[in-house]
Amino acid sequence: MKIINLGKSARQTAIISAVAALRRGGLVIYPTETVYGAGVDAASPQAVAKLAKFKSRPLGKPYSVAAADQKMAERYVKLNHTAKKLYRAFLPGPLTVISKLKTFKPFSHSSHFNHFLAPGVASETGTLGIRISSYPLVTAIVKKFGRPITATSANEAYKKRPYQISDIINQISDRKKQLIDLIIDAGPLPRREPSTVIDTTLDDPVTLRVGDIKISNEDKILSRSPENTQNLAKELWQKYQHFAGSPRCEAGRRAIIFALEGPLGAGKTEFTKGLARAMGIKKEIVSPTYNLSNEYSPALTINHQPSTILHHLDAWRIESGQELENLDFAGIITDKSVIAVEWADRVADTIHAYSEDAVIIWIKIKYAKKQNERLINWGIL
Amino acid sequence: MTILAIDTSCDDTAAAVTRDNRILSNVIWSQAALHAKWGGVVPSLAKRAHQDRLPWVVSRALRLARANLPNSANLFTRHSFGVGGPNSPNLIAAIAVTVGPGLAPALEAGIHYAKQLALLHEIPLIPVNHLEGHVISSLARPNLPNSPNLPNSLALIVSGGHTQLVLSFPSHRILADTLDDALGEALDKAARMLGLGYPGGAVLEKFAKQGNPQKYKLPLPLLGRENQGAFSFSGLKTAFYRLVEGKELTKQEICDLAACFQSTALDHLIRVVSKTISHFNHSSHSNNFDFSDLLIGGGVAANIELRKRLRKLGKQFDLKVHFPYSKKLCTDNAAMIGLAAQWAFARGEAAKTQAEINLIDRQPNLTFPSL
Repeated sequence: MKIINLGKSARQTAIISAVAALRRGGLVIYPTETVYGAGVDAASPQAVAKLAKFKSRPLGKPYSVAAADQKMAERYVKLNHTAKKLYRAFLPGPLTVISKLKTFKPFSHSSHFNHFLAPGVASETGTLGIRISSYPLVTAIVKKFGRPITATSANEAYKKRPYQISDIINQISDRKKQLIDLIIDAGPLPRREPSTVIDTTLDDPVTLRVGDIKISNEDKILSRSPENTQNLAKELWQKYQHFAGSPRCEAGRRAIIFALEGPLGAGKTEFTKGLARAMGIKKEIVSPTYNLSNEYSPALTINHQPSTILHHLDAWRIESGQELENLDFAGIITDKSVIAVEWADRVADTIHAYSEDAVIIWIKIKYAKKQNERLINWGIL
Repeated sequence: MTILAIDTSCDDTAAAVTRDNRILSNVIWSQAALHAKWGGVVPSLAKRAHQDRLPWVVSRALRLARANLPNSANLFTRHSFGVGGPNSPNLIAAIAVTVGPGLAPALEAGIHYAKQLALLHEIPLIPVNHLEGHVISSLARPNLPNSPNLPNSLALIVSGGHTQLVLSFPSHRILADTLDDALGEALDKAARMLGLGYPGGAVLEKFAKQGNPQKYKLPLPLLGRENQGAFSFSGLKTAFYRLVEGKELTKQEICDLAACFQSTALDHLIRVVSKTISHFNHSSHSNNFDFSDLLIGGGVAANIELRKRLRKLGKQFDLKVHFPYSKKLCTDNAAMIGLAAQWAFARGEAAKTQAEINLIDRQPNLTFPSL
């Protein structure tokens, strides 16, 4: 373990020694604008394994990396619109932006899917956190090294934040000290919060062909209030309820899908509330965003008939039709349930595939001029 | 009583060993730990990932707690200290598992595994309501051997999936619930509108610290109707959308908007809690519903601004306010399930025979009854 005290004259020595240590697969402790960081070559499996040992890191927890600039970042990840805006406004600075890897293939063997990064650096779902430090020394090291280094704090998991070298050294065993190849000591750092982590991956444009959604006999209304929106749901239920069934009901019945499309806060849950009330469901309908899927049954079953069940799905965080199938979408269609799908445009292909087995009513909600006004278009798919 | 608890209600796979109200180990395999939390279930991973991870997570929880399952020729005995006999303090006496609320396939994975363990080792299985775990999480202690009596309490659960004010112990009754979004979800969505990613509630808090909460005017939800036992965040979300839509925001504007949204959402939360407490203090039921403590649980309980305001509220109403002692206890975890299981066991809710154990089923929509 070598220690370089960072004075003005030592800066160049520090950069050269750090790069040399990184090239050998070494672990370098370096100062940043937040806390001391632990850096290894993010492309070297041996070096990343060494870092994992040093950090005693729980499994499944990825490492963010430091890049020299946006260009270096874009060699690894796709930056979407949100990410680009964040890079422009906040980087370099104490911000870690998570984006999707360029070369990620899910479910392939981990050591093959990305030859740019060691296993365990990116997350299991193929995302990577990148930060561009505003501490010039870090950027200089990464630039000279030519590829990203890990940018995790230099403490063990769940231990004190390292604002000075003694915070690190006094907390670890001798065996762990031996894992460190180089320490760049800049003295005590100002007590700033660790970098803020922002995940931009859900803002990616959806991979579906919205142009394919053709609504026949399109209708539209201007809803002036949430109650108006609920009433529309009630009217549509009355119009189509004769299709509704249950698992063992007679032939001729089908599942009914209310496919809801519209921006945040447009009233998709509001519509579903109206639908549920019309179906005789007493329970409060709440947003399904967190759970992905909620299930409701009407309070009373008439003549002991199995009643029609309402499934309330949220496709916002769903990225492929396969994920929708994981929620047993096919099963609830076979059961002839009523299904309200929020963010249906994200899974339009999958919904479309069931047009034989279900009545699909597509509903588009848009913001109109006034605060509470919405323009609602709907029709049969 | 030493309990091995399992929770798979969300995307994290969690196991813990608890004894009374002490946490001996609390292991979480987090697939998205780098990401800002309280986002909800990761769809692609829901069931299969839990199945893959449960054996590892459970054995690690046992090892860290130096605990053993009975009737098993296990690997840990040699490394344990004074453990091994049937009366050993760290011999697992029961398994606890979350049965709801949550995503059905995810819950199913944990329940199935817990049943196998309970049957194999011939110990009781305790089905636990995830929400009771959040209620009780603030009473956990890192190092106190004796369990205290449960205080008559109000409990506030604030997470990505729930916003509930509950009258607690010996049973739980909902006093106020959300009509639309949960508080954590509303904060997450506001963060997204500001281009701070999703889920970004925790990020929003950081930006809010540098902003001016008075800069923009947002409407307080359900103003004047705070005594009706309801929270609502969707109107606020819409107003916020109108405020930011189509604008190129500067750094400072992002901070100010974050501060305004968080402040208004918390104002609403505090107003409803405060009105509900006053209502109880003045109603004729007050003798039946006497409470001295306010318990806070759920991911948003880690929010510093929320803590500040709830402490102030506690002073105002002379309530002792409890927060979970670590961030790990705020978000979803299995330790709180172990704590809740102690009380579920005392209420006689454990399944002891094979037939009883087999009957335990997932309850994705599990909730507390209303008052």
